Amino acid sequence: MSINAIAKKYSYKTLAERELEDANEEYEHFVPNLSTMSPSLTLPPISQPTEFLRAHTDDSVNPECKIKIAHGTTTLAFRFQGGIVVAVDSRATAGSWVASQTVKKVIEINPMLLGTMAGGAADCQYWETWLGTQCRLHELRNKERISVAAASKILCNLMYEYKGMGLSMGTMVCGCTPKEGPTIYYVDSDGTRLKGDMFSVGSGQTFAYGVMDSNYRWDLTVDEALYLGKRAILAATHRDAYSGGSINLFHVTEKGWVYHGNYDVGPLFWEIKEKEGSFNNVKV
Amino acid sequence: MVGLSFDNYQRNQYLVNQAGFKAPKATSTGTTIVGCQFKGGVVIAADTRATTGPIVADKNCEKLHRIAPKIWCAGAGTAADTEMVTQLIQSNLELHSMYMNREPRVISAMQMLKQHLFKYQGYVGAYLIVAGVDPTGPHLFSIQAHGSTDIGYYMSLGSGSLAAIAVLERDWKEDLSREEAMKLCATAIQAGIFNDLGSGSNVDLCVMETGKDAQLYRNYLTPNVREQKQKNYRFARGTTAVLSKSVFDLVDVIKEEEIVVGTDAMDVDL
Amino acid sequence: MSQQDPSTINGGSAVAMVGKDCVAIASDLRLGQQSMGVSNDFEKIFHYGHVFLGLTGLGTDVLTVSENFRMKTNLYKMAEQREIEPESFANLVSTSLYEKRFGPWFVGPIVAGLNSISSKPFVCGFDYIGCIDYAKDFIVAGTASEQLFGMCESLYEPNLEPDDLFETISQALLNAVDRDALSGWGAVVYVITKDKVVKRYLKTRQD
Repeated sequence: MSINAIAKKYSYKTLAERELEDANEEYEHFVPNLSTMSPSLTLPPISQPTEFLRAHTDDSVNPECKIKIAHGTTTLAFRFQGGIVVAVDSRATAGSWVASQTVKKVIEINPMLLGTMAGGAADCQYWETWLGTQCRLHELRNKERISVAAASKILCNLMYEYKGMGLSMGTMVCGCTPKEGPTIYYVDSDGTRLKGDMFSVGSGQTFAYGVMDSNYRWDLTVDEALYLGKRAILAATHRDAYSGGSINLFHVTEKGWVYHGNYDVGPLFWEIKEKEGSFNNVKV
Repeated sequence: MVGLSFDNYQRNQYLVNQAGFKAPKATSTGTTIVGCQFKGGVVIAADTRATTGPIVADKNCEKLHRIAPKIWCAGAGTAADTEMVTQLIQSNLELHSMYMNREPRVISAMQMLKQHLFKYQGYVGAYLIVAGVDPTGPHLFSIQAHGSTDIGYYMSLGSGSLAAIAVLERDWKEDLSREEAMKLCATAIQAGIFNDLGSGSNVDLCVMETGKDAQLYRNYLTPNVREQKQKNYRFARGTTAVLSKSVFDLVDVIKEEEIVVGTDAMDVDL
Repeated sequence: MSQQDPSTINGGSAVAMVGKDCVAIASDLRLGQQSMGVSNDFEKIFHYGHVFLGLTGLGTDVLTVSENFRMKTNLYKMAEQREIEPESFANLVSTSLYEKRFGPWFVGPIVAGLNSISSKPFVCGFDYIGCIDYAKDFIVAGTASEQLFGMCESLYEPNLEPDDLFETISQALLNAVDRDALSGWGAVVYVITKDKVVKRYLKTRQD
């Protein structure tokens, strides 16, 4: 018995250490190599899984495909003087069918990190939740909160590993750490990972950019920034057939993220139209 | 201006082949249709469901078409085709019978239909059961979209034909009475209505007997009457938000366009 | 970029209903270019005398076909010295569409009106090659037709007064197009009675 093993036997373990140990054990169970940051997915027993998946789920290739993955979205996030604003719509569509108007497209990875959802709903939800567990493990191993850069890189590496295999997601990982300050990383299923001040992702992105580009300033107040996020999504829900429903608003600071409410586009549109005297293409 | 127009053909081929669109779905009759002979006459019958893909487009459509007063026809396949081909042959047969100064014959109707359908190589998707009485007696034929024809004492066509033919095979016998034949056809159609998803609703029936006028029994059986709703979704007046409202008289509509005569712009040298 | 069929390029829906001595016909106002909304005043209801025609489908064909019918009904009026009746107009639509059996217009027409002599309500619909669907209750068309079928089957009841028919057809249309990404962006409703026509624009969601 080595001296380390004897020492370990009589040493006191904190709750966090035990949790880490349990996680590691569990982890070892299905991934023998601990340095690998991702679990493995079982591949279907066919020669070309990629083509098989595409043939059965991609309605832009085969409109008759039986499994229609929810698409279409507008999400945005931008950095400003007071932190980060994250805003998203809530519509899910399968073809032209509006499958839901009440989807949660912001995934609360942990109290400090937010991820947005565009593309395959299941892909985003699963992998961003998975990212949450990776972030917790990082905290336990290193006794320090993970940086946004590191968190987004874990996700990005995973996306790259599965590149071309049919995953579909476009996400913004948003957070605020003492080292980095407010930070946004764009990560998608191609394996792209970009740091930036302002992103919009989804079928309605161009419309949202239009509003953001013309009204954005670094020294926006928090209220102004929240309004801009809301207003940009509103514009996108208006023009883009595949965006709509309601708007979810978030504000991210060093203290974590704060939820700023859900706004139904139905009444909100008319309210803002009247207040601003905007949307003059719509007759009253 | 006579006949079909192919003006849009090239554009539509482009849309389908180059732009990758597919042709929309036409209404299909889905359908169970049957016909059977009896002593001194012939009966045809049909269900009344019309479908667009998986959607029931019409719950009580008419699939029994009149070609001549005593020659009727049940149609399956593309609904527009069965309707239009039947109307066309109805006109031509009437002209023919006036020219010949004779009662129209079932075999003439069949011959005209098959020649028309053969010419269109199956693209006119009409599958028909033609029946009737003429001076040569009662007749019963079936015609396929490609132009082939069949003669028989009893027959069924359409997506429910398997269910219907089972009943006909089991119960048909020579020299049925008029009532027996009607009952047999109705039962065969019901087999289609209940066992084939493409068929449904009611039974239409037509009896053609030598020496008598043909008799159409529209909704001869109605085995699928919708239950009375127990509650209603009536909305209080004013529920719907209205942006603007305008009222106009239909008389205003008629004199909407006034032609200005006698202005300089209208002067024309004669 | 393959899609369902050509009528999903521009999107749009229409519905007609029969009431007590009245008929109603309504449509949305959206004209899109695939996912992008382009126009919100693209009315899909046309009228020829006292006959109303709802035309959904490929935008370019909606305009062409509606103009063709304007010409044909005007010629009819000159030849007959009277306006065309709904029943005759339905047959005109049917034969005009079938004429293009092998090079069709990509439209989904519906007809509504009151017969000017008998005052009998009339509605009917067509597939894109002219098969008439006579109905005594309601008719639907367009990209939200499946949703409209569901709404009408549950909301409709016979013999509604004009004001009640307006609420029923409006709610059927509004709730149907809210579940269709390619329809909406405003709506117009006509309620037709013997002595007058009431046209209303509805306040709708704009997403």
